[in-house]
Amino acid sequence: MNGHIEKKRLDNPPATIKLKIQRREKEGAPVSWETFELTYRRNLNVISALMDVRKNPVTIDGKATTPPVWDMSCLEQVCGICTMVIDDKVRQSCSALIDDLLLESASDTVTLQPMSKFPNVRDLKVDRSKMFDHLKQVNAWIELDGSYNLGPGPHISNDTAQERYAYSRCMTCGCCLEACPQYGDDNYIGPQAIAQARLFNMHPVGQMEIDERLNGLLGEDGIGNCGNAQNCVQVCPMNIPLTRAIYETNRDVTVNALFGWLKK
Amino acid sequence: MAIKFSKTFLLRKLHQLTGIVPLGLFYFVHLYTNSAALNGPKVFNDHVQDIHNMAYLLFIEIFGIFIPLLFHSVYGILISAEAKPNVLGYGYARNWFYVFQRATGIFLFVFLLFHILNFRFGLIPGLNMTPVAGNADQAYAIVSREFQIVWVLIFYFLGVIATAWHLAYGFFLFAVDWGIVIGEKAQSILLKASLGLAVFLSLIGINAAIAFVRPCGLLPKALCEEPRLTTPTPPKKV
Repeated sequence: MNGHIEKKRLDNPPATIKLKIQRREKEGAPVSWETFELTYRRNLNVISALMDVRKNPVTIDGKATTPPVWDMSCLEQVCGICTMVIDDKVRQSCSALIDDLLLESASDTVTLQPMSKFPNVRDLKVDRSKMFDHLKQVNAWIELDGSYNLGPGPHISNDTAQERYAYSRCMTCGCCLEACPQYGDDNYIGPQAIAQARLFNMHPVGQMEIDERLNGLLGEDGIGNCGNAQNCVQVCPMNIPLTRAIYETNRDVTVNALFGWLKK
Repeated sequence: MAIKFSKTFLLRKLHQLTGIVPLGLFYFVHLYTNSAALNGPKVFNDHVQDIHNMAYLLFIEIFGIFIPLLFHSVYGILISAEAKPNVLGYGYARNWFYVFQRATGIFLFVFLLFHILNFRFGLIPGLNMTPVAGNADQAYAIVSREFQIVWVLIFYFLGVIATAWHLAYGFFLFAVDWGIVIGEKAQSILLKASLGLAVFLSLIGINAAIAFVRPCGLLPKALCEEPRLTTPTPPKKV
């Protein structure tokens, strides 16, 4: 064996499949559902299925409608922009293969919805700029610019480098926030920003601004609002150890914020 | 730059701490006293009397139990109100535990209100009207009479199980939220230990409740004999 696992495929695929899509004309407009039927092809994924619908946007009842709107870019699960809720579970639509979805649901219908935790711009498209605000809130960067050459940076242990690499894989897709039962209504900053704060807190130079980052995580929407349901780490498409980032930051917070005054 | 004062953060930490230190500690004492019923009415009543004889009892009741309980339950309900449960789409075990923790918390609010009025104060019309507080000599009789009513007994069983879960999983949540237990493997061990503790505390609590309707609870009677009264002999002089 060379370690390659042949994925299960439909033995007797249906002639046609159905896409049930949640539609919304613009932000604040009412939600409606439309179902489209399209011819099954081998290796169809959700994006190519949506492209088929876009070519001929006629619903299963024969009603001509507008082509559904969605976001896409890299088509290889590294940019995160095509994230949507597929059969009640959040994931990237580019890597969601129709065969897998039909095998899992044992039906011929795939349901598509936009992520519910972000403003719905139109159809399956959402505005994820909140996540960028969260990165700013936790100072998710390292202050490097100065008036003179600082020389080479300090060495990092291999363990630290490995863990930081895992956090650096975040593509800001929003899966963790969508699946988090605590995230929403600006209640909680969420795992995405906490993992990025951890990424820069673990950097020897970034360590110097740890207080700024922890302050960003100690407000009303702070890290204390984590409910430990651990859905984030289950749904993360990049397998980022998000809960480890949360619990290591919990330790930083306990040491620096809760018991910090004992050092005075 | 220094860490800024954060009210929300401190309240959260206080909520976690009150659940463990005054309330968790009190729960163990409470179970210990309840289990005395296994050895019969006299032993149980004596234990209740011992509590009545404690120094600073009123202060312990107010500052060690009543105020932490009120804070923990009211703030806990506020936390629960923030939850957006999604176990149907994401049915992972830990996601269910998240829901259980909130559901048992809300149930316990109702149950403890009933329990305190029922036994501590004897104020629920139609049920027991004699407070256990101040009537240690009737303590066993009061509880025993109450537990003859089937729905009351079942309600107490549910209360015991909900408390056992909420406290045992609460230990786990405390350890992870304070950054004590971080790693995946360590968490999995602690989680199993917590679930084991929940089962253990449930069994102890249920057995203690049964001891008020059937001597020695579910255990064989030989294991719980009422202590024989012996007349103390003065130590011999050499």
